[in-house]
Amino acid sequence: MIRLALPKGRNLSSALDALRAAGYSLAGFDKDRLRQTLEDDGVEVLLLKDWDLPLYVEYGIADCGVVGTDVLEEVESDLLVPLRIREGRCRMSLIGLENKTPEAGTQARVATKYPNWTRRLLADRPWGAEIFRLQGSVELGPLLNLSEVAVDIVQTGRTLRTHNLCEIEVLAEIAPCVVMNRASFQRYREELNALGERLEQAGVVS
Amino acid sequence: MRIRAGLPTGVSAVLFDEAKARRQLEARLSDELVSWGCQEVLLPIVDYYDPYHSVLDEGGKSSLYRFVDRDGELLALRGDPTPMLARLLAPKLGSLSLPLKLFYRGDIVRYQEPRPGRLRESAHLGVELIERGPRPEGPQLELTVLEMFLDLLSSELQRSGSPRRLEVVLGLAGALDELVADASDSGAFALAISRRDRERVRSENELGLEIIEHGYPRNPERLGSAVGSQVERLVQTAGQLEQRYGGSGLKVHVDLAEFVRGHGTGGGAGLDHMYYDGIVFRAYIDNASEAVGNGGRYDKLFAELGSSVAAAGFSVGLDHLLQAVSG
Repeated sequence: MIRLALPKGRNLSSALDALRAAGYSLAGFDKDRLRQTLEDDGVEVLLLKDWDLPLYVEYGIADCGVVGTDVLEEVESDLLVPLRIREGRCRMSLIGLENKTPEAGTQARVATKYPNWTRRLLADRPWGAEIFRLQGSVELGPLLNLSEVAVDIVQTGRTLRTHNLCEIEVLAEIAPCVVMNRASFQRYREELNALGERLEQAGVVS
Repeated sequence: MRIRAGLPTGVSAVLFDEAKARRQLEARLSDELVSWGCQEVLLPIVDYYDPYHSVLDEGGKSSLYRFVDRDGELLALRGDPTPMLARLLAPKLGSLSLPLKLFYRGDIVRYQEPRPGRLRESAHLGVELIERGPRPEGPQLELTVLEMFLDLLSSELQRSGSPRRLEVVLGLAGALDELVADASDSGAFALAISRRDRERVRSENELGLEIIEHGYPRNPERLGSAVGSQVERLVQTAGQLEQRYGGSGLKVHVDLAEFVRGHGTGGGAGLDHMYYDGIVFRAYIDNASEAVGNGGRYDKLFAELGSSVAAAGFSVGLDHLLQAVSG
């Protein structure tokens, strides 16, 4: 039986909607149970913190799962990433008090929850980025002058508007991604390909 | 002075019963290899860095632990015994009687991203077979190496009584090079193949989609007649191996996507090193994240060192094998 890891965070509803659209009944699914078997669908489900999920899949404890691009890019796991779910997409953006990027040749402090990915996203800029990690409320960085700019997830933009912040530039798109363990793919190739095809036929992935 | 109890990341001491079990495993495998006519070689743990510069890819080079010694020489810790052995043997091959059947055992030291269970120092045992060139027709050398590899692993699994399954993935080094080179963004396409990113692969090439799903094209000729016939032979080889070892819970898959190169991410997803030039393989026990062993054909490595021979080999990670059969 395939073991599927689902994220407890913001991507859970997108993942469940996509699976239902693909014909999984998810009968008996309980979002408060960390481990459960869905007999009708022939899967065992693990509910995991988003940041932990890639590790569980990479280590083969789960065969596949759903996790956001943001986490995947930050932790750089060695996973297969065959599909991106359409629902629940957002963007990783450069935000600041003014709608302008730091000037060429200057050094700007950049607050983010994603320092590794941010380093790659800003690698080719003509300005220097002094990147540091904040655990949350990253928008407070530029707001309280802890940093000149921040790199963070923007979904609706409401938080930015509330705090009079500008979305200076969209750096990358973020999507809930279907991920798979490399060895599991060899072992359950037919089942995992079928999962991908069902999601594609339902039109919920790209 | 307070003494730290821990060890650096990715390094562990093997104590008591574990040490005994590891030595016993090493002895069993070594005895088996000796009974097959292999000779042991003892390799140094430190070497010059220079010889590896041209034979390792960026991932391989960056994983080496390098340092400057007191004489100002740039040295490297042993990170891959195959090129070390090749560079030591290449100048001597003219005076040696071939074929050579060699094996080594010992630790290798490589930088790895910190992850639970991922070792920066790990014990390996490997085999290298070297025959007089030019390259003989057909995959006979690789078959011999593969059979030795599978004999060792399946006998350990059987011996332990473990119900775990051995998944062996076969590929062809460079089989997808042309397909990748023709893509609008070769690096991105190779990465998409390696990750089996269906949408990105499909948008570039329908053949790519077939490969990431099925492992190889249903009509291998679509990769060109030379590669196509090699893939057909590989599929036959997989069938023969599965027939021979199927009873011991072994599954053999042909999967070209597993070994795609050119995506620049080094190990894990693709080939660890670029010196392979024929059949390549990797084995997992169940769905463990780390392969328990890998190998392939590497005439190209000797060619780069100025020798025309046929060479193939494999390496088994003893720590991972022990963990897999006893866990």
